[in-house]
Amino acid sequence: MFAELNAILNTSPDSFKQGEFILVSDRRADASFLVHHFLSFYLRAGCKVCFLGLAQSFSHYNAVSQRLGVSLTQAKEKGQLLFLEGLKESLDVLLGRTSDTGSRALDFLRDPAVGLRCLYEFVQASVSDSGDGGEGGGGPPVLLVDDLTVLLSLGVSVGSVLDFSHYCHATVCSQLKGNMVMLVRCEGEEDEDEDGDEEGSERLLKGLTHQCSLTLHVQGLPTGFCRDIHGQVEVCWRKTQKDKPPNQKKLFQYKVHDKGASFFARGTSSAVL
Amino acid sequence: MLLELIQGTEGGGLIIIQDSINYSGRHLLMSFINAALKRDEVVHLLAFELHEEDLKHELDHSCFQRLTFHNAFQDPLGWNEQPPFTVHQFITKELDSLLTPTHLSKPVTLVIDSFSWILRHLSPPSVCKTLQRLKKGGAVKTTLGLLHSDMHHRNMVGSICHLATSVVTLVPGHQCHEAVAKTIRRAKSGTISQAEERFSFNEDMSVKVQSQPIQVGAPQTDAGDAEVDPTANLTFNLRLSHQERKAKEKLALPFVFSKEKKSALLHSGPGSGRILYEPDANDDYDQEDPDDDLDI
Amino acid sequence: MAAPMKSVGSSFNATSFQKKTRSKLISIPGTRPSVQNGQLIVSTGVTSLDYLIGGGLAVGTVLLIEEDRYNSYSHMVLKYFMAEGVLCGHELFLASAQDHPDDILQELPAPILDDIASHSPLEGRMQLGGQHASQDAMKIAWRYQNLPKVQTALASSSRFGHYYDISKKMEPEIRQAANCYAFYLPEHPTESSATRSPLIESYSALLQSIQEVIRKGGFDGAAPPSKSRNVLRIGLQSLGSTLWGDDLCCRDNPAHGHALTTFLYGLRALLRSSLSMAVLTIPSHLIQNRAVMGNIIRLCDNAIALESFKGSDRETNPLYKDYHGLLHVRQVPRLNCLLTELPDHKDLAFKLKRKQFTIERLHLPPDLSETVSRVSRGELAGAAAVGTTCGTSSNKHLDF
Repeated sequence: MFAELNAILNTSPDSFKQGEFILVSDRRADASFLVHHFLSFYLRAGCKVCFLGLAQSFSHYNAVSQRLGVSLTQAKEKGQLLFLEGLKESLDVLLGRTSDTGSRALDFLRDPAVGLRCLYEFVQASVSDSGDGGEGGGGPPVLLVDDLTVLLSLGVSVGSVLDFSHYCHATVCSQLKGNMVMLVRCEGEEDEDEDGDEEGSERLLKGLTHQCSLTLHVQGLPTGFCRDIHGQVEVCWRKTQKDKPPNQKKLFQYKVHDKGASFFARGTSSAVL
Repeated sequence: MLLELIQGTEGGGLIIIQDSINYSGRHLLMSFINAALKRDEVVHLLAFELHEEDLKHELDHSCFQRLTFHNAFQDPLGWNEQPPFTVHQFITKELDSLLTPTHLSKPVTLVIDSFSWILRHLSPPSVCKTLQRLKKGGAVKTTLGLLHSDMHHRNMVGSICHLATSVVTLVPGHQCHEAVAKTIRRAKSGTISQAEERFSFNEDMSVKVQSQPIQVGAPQTDAGDAEVDPTANLTFNLRLSHQERKAKEKLALPFVFSKEKKSALLHSGPGSGRILYEPDANDDYDQEDPDDDLDI
Repeated sequence: MAAPMKSVGSSFNATSFQKKTRSKLISIPGTRPSVQNGQLIVSTGVTSLDYLIGGGLAVGTVLLIEEDRYNSYSHMVLKYFMAEGVLCGHELFLASAQDHPDDILQELPAPILDDIASHSPLEGRMQLGGQHASQDAMKIAWRYQNLPKVQTALASSSRFGHYYDISKKMEPEIRQAANCYAFYLPEHPTESSATRSPLIESYSALLQSIQEVIRKGGFDGAAPPSKSRNVLRIGLQSLGSTLWGDDLCCRDNPAHGHALTTFLYGLRALLRSSLSMAVLTIPSHLIQNRAVMGNIIRLCDNAIALESFKGSDRETNPLYKDYHGLLHVRQVPRLNCLLTELPDHKDLAFKLKRKQFTIERLHLPPDLSETVSRVSRGELAGAAAVGTTCGTSSNKHLDF
C-alpha cells in the first residue's frame, strides 16, 4: 500500500468509496505495482478479496505482499482472500488432462470462442458467499484481476472480455457495492488509427474506459528511460464527484522502490531538485 | 442549436450522441432525459451501461415516476436467472410490447444507453432496421442514443449516424469543465444545419451554452486551435486595439529619419566624394570566402 | 523460481532480515542466490548478459531472444546457454523444428577450462601486483590513480559462468556426460486433436513433452526433495517460425494468432512450479502483427532483441565499427519483487569475439585522426541519435 497514492486518490483503508471500478492500464511501462498496491490496500481494509491472478504465480504475489506488509497465506487461511491461480489451473486444461478437482473457471481454454461465462460464474460464487463467515465479512467484496490482457493472449476475443467485465461490474460494484480493479497492458505505441474494429488490447482499453469510474494510466516517460523516474501516472475520475465535474485529470510521476513507490508532481523528483 | 435539441423544439426523430473515451456523453444524455421529463413526456430508458442507483443521483426526483427504467445492465446476455432485458430482445416486436402500455396521450421518448452492447452482439443490418422502425413512428416520438464511436468500426458508426436525424459529437474543451458539441441536424425539408458550441453543465444538470457560438465553416479558429495557441494566456499584450494602433502609428521613433532628412541624404549635394574601385588581376578575391581564411 | 521460495516465504516474517533463511535453499551446482533479491539464478553462459538481466537467469523464468535477421548471434547465445548447462552438470532439453537438436549440441563451443581452474588463487596475487605496478607508474598524473578503470563491457564484480572459445567445439566426452532430452519436431508424432483449444498440435506436443521430462526427471517443485536435485535447462529454437506449423510469420492476421502466446502461458505455468528455466528464440522481424509480438514479450520474463549490422547500412557506418550489432532490452524480470535493478542505460551493443560474447555500452569510437572534418562528425552524431532511439526516444522536450 502506497500512502502517497492514497493521498492522491483521497482514500484510506478506513474510508474508501464503494462501488468503484478502477481501471489500471500501462503503456511502455509496468503497472503491476499498482495491482500489488490495491491488493494490500483492500486486504488491510478488511474486505473480502477475490483475486484472479492470471499473470503470475501465487508465490510471486505472496512474496511482494510480504514486502508491503501483508501476508497472503494468512489472508487465504482466514478466508479473506480467494485466489485463483491461473497458471496452475490452466496447465491441466492445456495439457488435455481432465481433472475433477480443479474448478471450471478456466474452461474457456478448451474453446475460447464460447466466452468467459464460466469465469464469471466463479467470480460470482466467490464474491457473493460472504455470508459463510470468515473474518473478512466486514467489508464489501472486492475483485482484482491481473491482468486481462492475458485472456486476449489465450485467444479470448475483446468482446468476450468486455462482457465479462460488464457482468463483474454489475455484480460486484452495483449489486454488492464492492470495488473492482482490473489491469490492462497495451502495446508500445498508441496507434492513431481510428479504426475501432481491430482486436487487441487497445480496443479492450477503450471499452473498459467507458465502463469504469476511475482510470490510472501508467506510461513510460515520453523523453525516454530514466533511472530515477520510472514513468508517469495519469489519474482520471470519469464519474462526477461531489463538487467536481467529470473527466478530471491529474498527472504524476512515480518511482518504484523496494517496498513501495513514491509519487510526485511533474518535475519535482528528488533526483532533479 | 444544442439547446433547441434538448428542448425538443424540432420534435421527434433519432438523436445520436457520439462520445469517446476522452469525454463521456452520459452527462449530456442525462440533461436530455431531465429536459424531456420536465416537458411532461414519458421516458423509457433502456440502460445497458447504467445502474438504476446511479441514475437516481443524477435525475430530478419530482418527475421520476414518468421514467420507466428497463434494466438491461444487470444481465444483458442472460447468464443469470431471469434476465430483465437482454440484448437479443432489441427487436421491434419486443420493443413494441415494452413501450405500448403507456399513456397514449403523452409523447414517448426512448433512450438507449448505449449502443455499444447492441452493436457488439447483434448484426448491424438488424440494428439499423429496428432503429428505422422506431424512427418511422408508432409509439415513440424521439429515440435518443449514446454511441461510443471509438469502440466500433467507423463504417458501423457511419451507418448508425446515417439513420439519425441529429448527431451530436462531443469532444473535450480546452478548459476542464467545458466541452464542445458539434451538432448536425437534418430537417424534414432536407436542409442541413450544423453548429459547433462550447457548453458546460449547471448545478441542476441543465446545459449552459457559452455565449459565443463557434461559426461552422469559419476558418480554423475553433476550440482545437485555441488549445494550442501559446498566446492565449500571456501576461503582456500581443495584439493592438484600434486606438492603440493609432497611437503607435503617431509616435515617431528615434533614429527614424524624417522625409526631409532622407531626401537630403539621398540627393547628395555638390562637393561630396565617392570611392571607385576596379579589381585587377592581382586581386585574389574569392566569391565563396570573402574573409579568405575561414574553414567552411 | 516458484517452488523453493514458497517454503522460504512461509518461514520468514515481514522483516528485512532474510539472509539467514536463504541458507536453507537447496544448493545445486551452477546455481546461486541472486544478490538483489535472493532468487536462485543460473548463468546464461554470457557473462555480460547475466549482468544485464539481474545477475543471471532466475530459475522458473523464460528468456526471450528476438533473433537477428540471419539468426546467427541469437543461435550463438542459445548455444552458450546449453554449453553452460553441460559444464554445470545441468540437464538439458533442446527443441527445434529446423536442425536436429543433436546436431546443435555437437556444435557447442569449447570451454576455456584452465582459466577457471587457476581463477581463484591467482587472481588475488595478480591484482596485488597490478596495483603495485600502477602506483609506481603514476608519477605525473597521480591524481588519476584512484579513479576506477573505465569499463564499457557490462560485468558484475564476481565471476559466474564460464568463457568459451567459439573456434573450437566442445569435447565429445564433456558433452556426452550431460543428460540431454531432444525434441525434434519432424521426428515427433503429433496427433491432430479435435478440441478447439487455441494451441496447435506442434506446440501442444512440445508442452506435453516438456511436462513429461519435468515430471520424470524430478524437477517438479511438488516432488519430494531427494538428495541430489538438479535443474533443467530448456532451449527452444525459432518458435513461431513456419516450420512449427505456425502462420504467425507469414500473415498479418494469422489464423493461429494465439497459439504461441497460449503455449508461452503454459510454459510459464510449467516453469514456475519446477526447477527449470528456458531460453527461446523467436524470429520477431518476421512477425508483422505488433499486438501479438507485445503479448509474446509480456509472457516472457526477460526479453532482449539482437539487431545485427550484417546486411544493414550500419555495417559500414564508422560509428559502429567496434560492434556487431545493437541489443535492445525489451523486458526486465519482475519476479517476487516490486522493483528490478535496471541497467544504467539502454543504449547497448554487442560484439562476438573469439573467446567472448560481450555486451557493451554503446559509445562513439575515439576520434584519433587529425584531419577529421567537422561536417562528417556531425553526421555521425546524427546517425547515433537515430540508431539509439530505444533509450532516448525523442529529444523534443524534457520532462524536467
